[in-house]
Amino acid sequence: MPKGNSKPDLLQGTLDLMVLRTLETLGPQHGFGLAKRIQQISAGVLDLNQGTLYPALLRLEQRGWISSRWGASDNNRRARFYDLTKAGRKQIGRETDNWERTVALMARFLRVAE
Amino acid sequence: MRPLWKRLTAIFSTPRSDRELSEEVEAHLEMRAAELREQGLDPRAARQAARREFGGVEQMKEAYRDRRGIPWIESLAKDARHSLRSLRRNPAFTVAAVLSLALGIGANTAIFSFVETLMLRLLPVERPEQLVNLYRTGAWGKGYASYPLYLEFRKHAVLFAAVFARGSAEKVRFEAGGGNSVEYVSREYVTGNYFEVLGVKPAIGRLFTDQDNRTPQGHPLVVVSYDFWRSRLGLDPAILGRVLKVDEQALTVIGVVAPPFHGIEVENRADMWVPAMMSRGEIMQPGQHWIWIMARRRPEIPRGRLQAAANTIMQQYLMSVYGGQRDTAFGKWALAQKIEVRDAGVGLSMLRDAFGKPLTILMAAVALVLLIACANVASLLIALGAARRREIAMRFSLGATRWRVVRQWLVESLMLALAGSALGLAFAIWGERYMLLFLPPGAGEQFDVAPDAAVLAFTLGISVLSAILFGLAPAWRATSVDPAAALKDGGSGQPGRGTRAGFRQALVVVQVALSVVLVAAAGLFAHSLAGLRSIDPGFAARNVLTFSLDYPQAWKGADKEKHRERLLARLAEVPGIASIGYGMPGPYRGGSWMSGIRVPGSARTATEGVQVNQQAISPAYFETLGIRPLRGREFSAADFRSARKIAVVNEVFVREFLPGTPDPVGRAFSFDTSKPEGGEPTYIVGLVRGISHDGLKTSPASTVYVPFRQGEVNYDPTFLVRAPFPPASLLPAIRREIARIDPEVALVEPRTLRERVDDSIFTDRMIATLSGFLGALALLLAGIGIYGVMAFAVTRRTAEIGLRIALGAAPARIAWLVLRDGLLLIALGVAIGLPLSLAAARINASLLYAVKPNDPLAFGLTVTVLLAAGALAAFLPARRAAAVEPNQALRHQ
Repeated sequence: MPKGNSKPDLLQGTLDLMVLRTLETLGPQHGFGLAKRIQQISAGVLDLNQGTLYPALLRLEQRGWISSRWGASDNNRRARFYDLTKAGRKQIGRETDNWERTVALMARFLRVAE
Repeated sequence: MRPLWKRLTAIFSTPRSDRELSEEVEAHLEMRAAELREQGLDPRAARQAARREFGGVEQMKEAYRDRRGIPWIESLAKDARHSLRSLRRNPAFTVAAVLSLALGIGANTAIFSFVETLMLRLLPVERPEQLVNLYRTGAWGKGYASYPLYLEFRKHAVLFAAVFARGSAEKVRFEAGGGNSVEYVSREYVTGNYFEVLGVKPAIGRLFTDQDNRTPQGHPLVVVSYDFWRSRLGLDPAILGRVLKVDEQALTVIGVVAPPFHGIEVENRADMWVPAMMSRGEIMQPGQHWIWIMARRRPEIPRGRLQAAANTIMQQYLMSVYGGQRDTAFGKWALAQKIEVRDAGVGLSMLRDAFGKPLTILMAAVALVLLIACANVASLLIALGAARRREIAMRFSLGATRWRVVRQWLVESLMLALAGSALGLAFAIWGERYMLLFLPPGAGEQFDVAPDAAVLAFTLGISVLSAILFGLAPAWRATSVDPAAALKDGGSGQPGRGTRAGFRQALVVVQVALSVVLVAAAGLFAHSLAGLRSIDPGFAARNVLTFSLDYPQAWKGADKEKHRERLLARLAEVPGIASIGYGMPGPYRGGSWMSGIRVPGSARTATEGVQVNQQAISPAYFETLGIRPLRGREFSAADFRSARKIAVVNEVFVREFLPGTPDPVGRAFSFDTSKPEGGEPTYIVGLVRGISHDGLKTSPASTVYVPFRQGEVNYDPTFLVRAPFPPASLLPAIRREIARIDPEVALVEPRTLRERVDDSIFTDRMIATLSGFLGALALLLAGIGIYGVMAFAVTRRTAEIGLRIALGAAPARIAWLVLRDGLLLIALGVAIGLPLSLAAARINASLLYAVKPNDPLAFGLTVTVLLAAGALAAFLPARRAAAVEPNQALRHQ
């Protein structure tokens, strides 16, 4: 990412939660669908190199949080579809808690600093 | 936390090929490009834009590849490093755990090597599981059969896909050319179809066919093993067509067998193969038993039917050969033969018959030892876990999942187990060498028990299994901590809860119970061996050397007789030799020579002749064995010059045929069984005690001793030399005298009589020694376990003990309190172990000699030894408890 860009770097772990949440709301998706949706939701705030999604998907699958299979896309292309597993659903709960704690913590720090 | 296997399958199922990833990326790019095209971009620009948004494809693939294989290995490496550090921090624990495991795993590996070699390793031939051995039982020994019987089975192609046969691998003379020293090779006589049926291929040249085994003495050909070609002939490329002198036959080499084939006998490897028709015996005689009949079964014929059909063929064959003599003793004896269809895919082994059951029992015993060792390590790990509560609580509060911490512990256990198995392998190799020492010579020759791939896999398997066994429960317990509480109590390593100690105590009880089983087994086998050792073999085995002579093949009986006379005269001059004799088969040689007799006046032989053991002996035979005739005399040199038929009989003979006769001297029997009163009489000149010639476990049989007269006896005798000191030192002098008479004659199989007696009970000696060792090991490990638990309990109760002492309790009373706890555990273990060991003893009963499975001596000793060892292990912590300083103890809190 070029220096001086105002768009934030992706915090470690945030992409994971984004992917999991997207799959939870939309159901099974292929990589392109996921990338599109994440950029939509972030409304341009996040400059996602779409390619970085794939190593993240592999990591999530290795952890057993998502599963994948080959299927056909809307315009009948062969594409790999990702879906949430039971463990992945639980993980969303855990990561959400973590995230909220972090946010609350950071908020307190920022208030104190002011 | 998800189960381990699910995680593992997730890790192993995700790796994808680069091709799949490329396809996925291509789909992504194409979908985006299609969208852009719809928005009006031209295809080229759409494609470029899609690529731009995607970012670097190659960088991504690189990151993806990194991710694909490494992460779990990396985190494992991290765990391993962490484990190494924590193991190094607890050297005493690490050493104790690794040593316990090394002993347990080493013992398992050693025994398993034998089991694998003797009982599991398949022959390196085509479809070995189809091979069977037609094992003959009944008259004339066991296993081997006659050539005509082989031909009979070969006729039945409906029953077997193929039938072949081979003689035992025999050590015979080999002249490599050049020097005149006598070398030996292992030769196997085989039928022409041997290699073809086994599916063994030549490395060079060709192997035999049925054409190479048609006429007696008509095929002077030889096929050698690859090893022999390499080690003895230096891979000579001109080997084909070369003539080798083997057993004084000039044989032309026609081929070399491809490695690793070495024949089909486990403990005797063959160097070379010669057509059976080249054997010197009367090959077509149905009474010549020397060949092992093998067959390849037809998979479609069930085992039961195969055996039934083989029985029928055998019966018909026996009737055709011996039917005419069915009313005579000999006929009945010969007709009682049976054939047994045995699986032979793992090769033939005489040793397996004697040794299979002891090995199975030892395998079970070493498994128990490993269990005890695992219990020890588990107990140590629990203690360690208690000491590490603070560390674990810290990791939890830093966000580690329980699975993560448990995995770290399992990695640590695995490292202990692997270190234990590495050291254990060294122990195993040493142990195997020791075990081989028990095997009689010949049985152990070229008997390769070095750990091979299968053994290494086994060792690895049991070490992983034991890591899980001893690691999982402690890891689970250690991680069930409340982080807040653990951090608060300062991690002094003193869990206040009783359950933790309870689990360790249960482990001690299990250890003691298993030790009872092993110690009791050791006691039983030791008692059994002591019983065998106390058997009087009937002669004085001390200070007697035995050996045989190997004469040049061309020598006739008269030459051998002349040589024997000269040798005896020469040896009589050697200082230190007290007396010399010889006999056929001789004591403890494993051979037997049976003859039918009639005894005038005996009810036993009134209707038919009876088979008795026969021995052909020299003058001074009994003197050399250290016994005097009970009545009459032994043979003198004069008896050999006279033609009068005489014999010495043993006590068993008199009991069987002349009951109530105190002195049989002067009575007669006859080797002619055609008439009730016999024919030409043989006069009894002496009576000796019963000697069991077949081994300590067999009781003496009716035996007649006759003078060894060349011509009447077809086999060479065993020589016996008695000295007033251990006779092995006489061997060089004896060899010298033999070489001086004729360098062509070789002394073979030198062995003291004591060793031969020991050889006859080698399985008993081995199992008694090894089970004694394993029992001691179990006791040691259980002792360490008891000590560990009691010492830990004392540490935990230091404050309480200090308080008691401060309040005036006598140190002796404190010591007793601790000791009592220990003894209670031991008593509980013994109570559980005793019924288990009784059950085990019943399984072992067939290996016990003259000892009942519920032998009170062995069990009494077992209980005593365990209580004593346990009391000792508990006494040390008890003494420490009694010495607690109240002041210090209370401050300690």
